[in-house]
Amino acid sequence: MDRLIFHIDVNSAFLSWEAVYRLHIRGEKRDLRDIPSAVAGDVKKRHGIILARSTPAKKYGIRTGDTIGDALKLCPDLVMVPPHYDLYETSSEAFIEILKEFSPCVEQYSVDEAFCDMTGTAWLHGSAVVAATLIKDKIYNELGFTVNVGVSTNKILAKMASDFKKPNLVHTLFPDEIEKKMWKLPVEELFFVGNATKRKLHNLGIRTIGELARTDLDILRAHFKKHGEVIYSFANGIDMSVVVDEAPPNKGYGNSTTIAFDVDDGSTAKMVLLSLAEKVSTRLRADRVMATVVAISIVDIYFRRQSHQMQLYSPSNITNEIHKASCKLFDQLWDGRPIRQLGIHTSKIVQGNNSKQLNLFDMNRYEKLSKLDLAVDTIREKYGDDSIVRAVFLDGPVYHMSGGVSKDKNRPKYNDGIL
Amino acid sequence: MLHIPVDVVATFNVQGKIKPNYIRLEDDNYTLQTYRIEKIIFSREEKYAGLPVILFCCNISRGNQMQTINIKYHVRTHQWVLAKESKL
Repeated sequence: MDRLIFHIDVNSAFLSWEAVYRLHIRGEKRDLRDIPSAVAGDVKKRHGIILARSTPAKKYGIRTGDTIGDALKLCPDLVMVPPHYDLYETSSEAFIEILKEFSPCVEQYSVDEAFCDMTGTAWLHGSAVVAATLIKDKIYNELGFTVNVGVSTNKILAKMASDFKKPNLVHTLFPDEIEKKMWKLPVEELFFVGNATKRKLHNLGIRTIGELARTDLDILRAHFKKHGEVIYSFANGIDMSVVVDEAPPNKGYGNSTTIAFDVDDGSTAKMVLLSLAEKVSTRLRADRVMATVVAISIVDIYFRRQSHQMQLYSPSNITNEIHKASCKLFDQLWDGRPIRQLGIHTSKIVQGNNSKQLNLFDMNRYEKLSKLDLAVDTIREKYGDDSIVRAVFLDGPVYHMSGGVSKDKNRPKYNDGIL
Repeated sequence: MLHIPVDVVATFNVQGKIKPNYIRLEDDNYTLQTYRIEKIIFSREEKYAGLPVILFCCNISRGNQMQTINIKYHVRTHQWVLAKESKL
């Protein structure tokens, strides 16, 4: 029997959640979804991009990722609201919870989309489309936001189907509909075809998904190697991957931060690296893993990006060791140009944090440092991240744990009302 | 008009059922008055944007007239708000 897979995608997620919150929890009259509006970062801190926009804003040509300046040029009356990440987490959890009522096998693909294997359960509700409509309406009635549901026999087709006309619709894309519904679409609409691939495909004269599907596989292999096989099978609606309800272990842990000012001295940059190292290694320790490879990235004020990596003597999740490695990499990489963004990324993850290969040079330090980190983690877990801070960060311009979502974005300060 | 935070006296029974009994609202002279909640017409659990809220539609007597109000209990933050809108 064929499988039956749903892909459920929240329509402009951050904006919808923000709109529902303001309507039902704060009691505002205006629905952000009905006017040109966007969730946007903070220009002053140089986080000034559009994170999500409403359908009316889309009509002005505003895209996710545009700078606030560009967006305002396209639509001067654009209503912008700050992000509110802990709300989005709550909304996302409630969304997944409803999906789990319909299928035991739900794979959360990102904060606002998920796959459901409905092979065994769709027929409880009648046909597949009836079940999909039921899910869509239940989410709208209970949680207040709209979703698109794509229905098919595998994940790629379901995902393509949920991306057809929006919002608040159910679409099917069964294998016999591929030719009619998917092949006429421009090739960049295909999942896994980004800007670079699109350009190369256009150079080969391939403009639609149908043309890609009918291209000789050897030609694609020659130009794209393994990736050619992937997009070829996607264009033909072939995808053998299954819906996995358990998240695979992280392959890497990284954080980066755009600094509110240009950094032109090494010591400030190393302070930023320390704050990133704090964040990354805390995450490593929380998941009880260690990293073997440390990499840093630098984006300068001209938006040029460089990165550099090294292998540690042995896997580690000690803040000091990760920081030391990052500083070494930084000294080798930095050419003195003012810095806009810094990042630390760790990879080659090893499970467990108990066994450690000691080396001759830091025999005693390891044990002391790991005890220190454990103590700091325990204090922070109990009393909050800010309860214990390295002295270098006191009164400094850098927050002691950079990267990820910064605190002020979890909960915007409303001038009126307390919720 | 936004929802307004209000003081409420409520009872919680052994089953966890919540019943608001008194509410403090401003009167026409902007002074706080305590009103008895005479009757709960209905209550309903909501979960908009994933946030659990219990809505109570109830009657209070104000002077010599009955007034129907909607108040909401926020389960996560334990706050009560007066929802002004008349449409439910």
